Amino acid sequence: MIPSRRSFLMGAAALSAAVVTPDLVRAAQAAAAPDWALATGDVEADVAPRALQRLHGRAPADLSGVLFRNGPARFRRPGGSARHWFDGDGLVRRFALSEGRVELSARFVDTRKRRQEERLGAMVMPGFGTPPDPRAEIGSPDDANAANTSVLMAGDRLWALWEGGSPVAMDPASLQTEGYVTLRPDLRSMPFLAHPRVEPGGRIWNLGMGGDQAIVWRLSPDGTLEDASLIPLPRASYIHDFTATARHLILVLQPWVRERQTLPFADGFAWRPETGTQILVVDKDDLTRRRIFETEAFGFFHLGDAWTEGGDILFDIALHRDMDFAARGAAEVVAGVPLDGETAHLGLIRLKADGSTNLTRLPVIAEFPRSDPARAGLSRRLSVHTTAETPDTPFARAIAVTDWSSGQTRSFDFGADHVVDEMVYVAKPGATDEADAWLIGPSLNLAERATELHVLDVAHLEAGPVASWRADVALPAAFHGTWVG
Amino acid sequence: MKALLATAALMLAAAPAVAQEATADLTFTFDLGQPTGYVMVALYDSQAAFDGSGEPVRVGRLDASGADRSVVFEDLPAGDYAIKAFHDVDGDGRMATNPFGMPTEPFAFSNNAVGNMGPARWDRAHVTVTTDLAQTIHLAN
Repeated sequence: MIPSRRSFLMGAAALSAAVVTPDLVRAAQAAAAPDWALATGDVEADVAPRALQRLHGRAPADLSGVLFRNGPARFRRPGGSARHWFDGDGLVRRFALSEGRVELSARFVDTRKRRQEERLGAMVMPGFGTPPDPRAEIGSPDDANAANTSVLMAGDRLWALWEGGSPVAMDPASLQTEGYVTLRPDLRSMPFLAHPRVEPGGRIWNLGMGGDQAIVWRLSPDGTLEDASLIPLPRASYIHDFTATARHLILVLQPWVRERQTLPFADGFAWRPETGTQILVVDKDDLTRRRIFETEAFGFFHLGDAWTEGGDILFDIALHRDMDFAARGAAEVVAGVPLDGETAHLGLIRLKADGSTNLTRLPVIAEFPRSDPARAGLSRRLSVHTTAETPDTPFARAIAVTDWSSGQTRSFDFGADHVVDEMVYVAKPGATDEADAWLIGPSLNLAERATELHVLDVAHLEAGPVASWRADVALPAAFHGTWVG
Repeated sequence: MKALLATAALMLAAAPAVAQEATADLTFTFDLGQPTGYVMVALYDSQAAFDGSGEPVRVGRLDASGADRSVVFEDLPAGDYAIKAFHDVDGDGRMATNPFGMPTEPFAFSNNAVGNMGPARWDRAHVTVTTDLAQTIHLAN
């Protein structure tokens, strides 16, 4: 039986009733079937490889590769449910493009968390916004690792990433889970963020957060550890993402600060806007060399790759008003409750050589910024980002490219029936101009209850996809991915 | 042990009844990841001691490079017991932790009990000993 959208919503709301107030549940039930509840729906099992149906257009002849994406896809079990969007089980999606055809498969990361919860028939692990359950057995942070946030190619292995534990290695062809990655025996169970920064040459930088200190990971392109060092931080800010130039690591320390050791994780943080935002710049070659910049208070999850102009450092950012979405909104999304939330806007931060900071706020709704991986840390002018969320829906319906040289944003709106995921930038073969590239990414077609894959031409983004395909399954919204050409 | 007790019972059968406190052996066999260092085992006979306010009643140490992977606590009075064990893989005499304080060497408890963001609780880890008892404890990362 395929449940109606309304019964799905009411089921979700009822299962999650413990987290939301009765008023909110009533509001959700009264609302006219918010279709987007499918975006945080449950996938019952792994998705076997299947061909997608071509809807229109033709795939570029010279485009072949695999788009891997990761995001939570199981939130609810009979004995208890996750209470936050960030706490569902990671489902790794594999869209393989070749010779104009697309094949989709998807497998849950076979984590200890998932095994324990399947055995119990209940989601019991504490997480970002899910409180601890006494039934949970947790001897290590990795026992609660949902492996649900992003993926990284490390040599020939695909790593599923969370942010509070180890990477989980998978076979990139079969998506079979191989195990938790320990980069050095004395660093077992150290956190590894879901936003590594990969230099054009392949060297991988990442952080792991531990309150007012961070571990800085440096890996060779094949995923072996080159160095791991602890650095002190001026405050115990929430860091989901950092950025880098060719020479610097840049840590934005928003005023959402960990003040208590408690679970769920988000409950330990307090919003302290009066303290503003600090930005720590560390030399890659000598992690003890650092500068601290200051700017106004804002919340954020995601940054774009940074670059330099003279002695200035620049990077783009999806600016939130505060961290209410992390603390509250992303819990209500899972409960099927419409948001009254703010949308994030695109910003550009310039850290000047004289030590001052300039923050430019664009009137452009934006999240999930991406750019050309071959220009990571280097001069660039284009940012790819999702756009067109409204206060009523927490998800984007359009994809956009903002050009920093002109200040212009061009976008394509897939329409109210689509939840548009982050898209990746894929340079055309032999391209020299930054606009000579494809964007590749999925949307969830809520009306058709189906996942779609789209290829757009950056230079003619407004014209819409050059090709689209549709699957016979609907996978919920995902967070982040990577393209392997 | 059972045989010994049976023999003792036969020998005493003709004698006037005397107070005999039953004892038993508790054997833990460890399933290890690496054959280096030592397995350190502490045996507790009460929740209070197990929770940190008392000393273990016995301790054991197993050479992980040897063929014998068992630690036997012999002749224990009947009662409730639990162990804490860790594999000191590098043999430095302490449980290693990562820079954020999380253990990096394997640890385990009787019943293979697992905690909830900390050591296993007594109610999950303890065993009631009335006769000889043996458990295999998984002690590998």
